Amino acid sequence: MSETELSLERLLFNLNTLAELGEEITSPKDFTRVVKSSLYMVMGTFSSSKGAIFQHENGNGSYIPIASKGLGDIGGLRLKLAPETIAELLKRREPVELGGGKDAGFLGAAGETLEKIDAKVLACLTVKDELLGLIAINGKFSGEPFTLYDHQLLSVMSQHISFSLHSHSLLMKLMHKYTENKGLYENLRRIYYDTIHAFAAAIDAKDSYTRGHSHRVSAYSAALAREMGWSNEEVEGIRIAGLLHDIGKITVDKTIINKASPLTSYECRELNSHPVIGYEILSKIKFPWKGIPMMTRNHHEKVDGTGYPDRLRKSEIPIGARIMALVDAFDAMTTDRPYRPKLSFKEAICEVRENWNRQFDPEVIQPFISVIRKEVRREADNPTIVPLLQEELDAVSLNRILEGFPGPRSASRPCRWISRVLKNTCQAIHGWIAELQRLCGLNKNGVFSSSCKRPNQNPRTLREAAHIVR
Amino acid sequence: MVKRYRNFKELGDTVVLYPDDYINDIEGEKLEDLCANYLDRGFRKIVVDFSETELVNSIGVSILIGVIEKVRERDANIYFSGLKRVNYDIFSIVGLTKHIRIFETEEDALGIGPKTAGQAVL
Ligand SMILES: [Fe+2]
Repeated sequence: MSETELSLERLLFNLNTLAELGEEITSPKDFTRVVKSSLYMVMGTFSSSKGAIFQHENGNGSYIPIASKGLGDIGGLRLKLAPETIAELLKRREPVELGGGKDAGFLGAAGETLEKIDAKVLACLTVKDELLGLIAINGKFSGEPFTLYDHQLLSVMSQHISFSLHSHSLLMKLMHKYTENKGLYENLRRIYYDTIHAFAAAIDAKDSYTRGHSHRVSAYSAALAREMGWSNEEVEGIRIAGLLHDIGKITVDKTIINKASPLTSYECRELNSHPVIGYEILSKIKFPWKGIPMMTRNHHEKVDGTGYPDRLRKSEIPIGARIMALVDAFDAMTTDRPYRPKLSFKEAICEVRENWNRQFDPEVIQPFISVIRKEVRREADNPTIVPLLQEELDAVSLNRILEGFPGPRSASRPCRWISRVLKNTCQAIHGWIAELQRLCGLNKNGVFSSSCKRPNQNPRTLREAAHIVR
Repeated sequence: MVKRYRNFKELGDTVVLYPDDYINDIEGEKLEDLCANYLDRGFRKIVVDFSETELVNSIGVSILIGVIEKVRERDANIYFSGLKRVNYDIFSIVGLTKHIRIFETEEDALGIGPKTAGQAVL
């Protein structure tokens, strides 16, 4: 090949390398691989057998190797550059030749380090006025000197690599911020949950008999909501609402909450104010979940409209509040209270059945029964309700307890028709009674006397048992 | 793209390596490892036959320089053969042709004894 031909071939080879380098640094490949390929391209272009790319470390003038070839393990190597050295490098903006009497004294200790790795040419990797890194290579394999053309070519290649380093450094900063924010968010979330749990414990602490009540209502509500096909986010919302549903009780005198004898009308009014007070407290908090204040406000509503504080009927009551009304009453029934011992599971289920479509919504009772069935049959992934009950349940006794329970599974067609007629009749009668009670209650105290009715020591009906769910 | 050096031939203390069609990314570094492995096993002469290699780019050049350096460190000998015109030109540009003995064919390369050519070439 003649000299002209060789020059032309070299130009083409170098242009091709620049094109490949451009492609490499914009490729989605892993950064380490991109840097390594870039170094190999530089070394191949100048037929160097040793070389390394250094990147600045925390902007403290220390540069560490991020890729190397022909130098063995240089992981522990550091290039320490003084601010004035960096300033000088930035001023020169072109590759610096080292050794052989060249003017590289301004590099100080870094110059000696570079000498140890046999570096002959040093190129800067800069973006604006920042020295992001350095490329150091040894002499050409052929022993030929570096020409002005080589310097220019190395400068162009360095600019390409600087771009890659800069993008990566930005990405790393972003990742760092992201990880930091994620950690902060996790911390906040933990504090948030801890606070809510502390509140729940404070609520339950007012009543020695209801210890753990808020946690159970929370767990039961979440299990039921999941059974009803709620999303994870919604389940989380009702779990929190369950923990806080009785928060209004923190303003109610402890002696009223723990009173074993019947309440006076004043005490009754005080106690029944807790859903509204709870609502007022919680509606001032910006929860990430929807409906928590309303679930709290309406957890003592009944589907027949005789509950409090808003006397809402069935679909007017938020579904979350209907869920909580059932599990709240169920937990109250199955745990000891100052004024009565706990009911057995069978008795509690009996009361639920009695209040089908009166106090409790059948749309909620059915999935509730379904969860219990699954848990007893060990078909549930995370049994929640049965393990918290204070009695052993097996599939045979559960079937007996649930026998004839209203619902799509248990009733045949004619039975369902009869039960519907009976149910409607009962509902009508119950509605009239409720209306009468309501009117009487309003005339006397402005509150519902039925809600405050105190039970006997050993209640046998839900009108006795469930009304005491304070 | 070169990936694996699936072909090699061992003849006494000589091994002939046949790189794939492209030596243009860092995967090609396996050639360096392969050579180091043969040198460790006592092979004294390495012939790299490029007759199947369509293209060597700047990354390939740096890998081949690495191979040559490894052979030099062990005082062994390395020869290239079967180079296509385009690859020969690239080796000329980077100055490799002046420092390594290149043969037309693999057979020609194998005809050279380590003592007669080794030191002179590298
Ligand atoms: Fe309550």
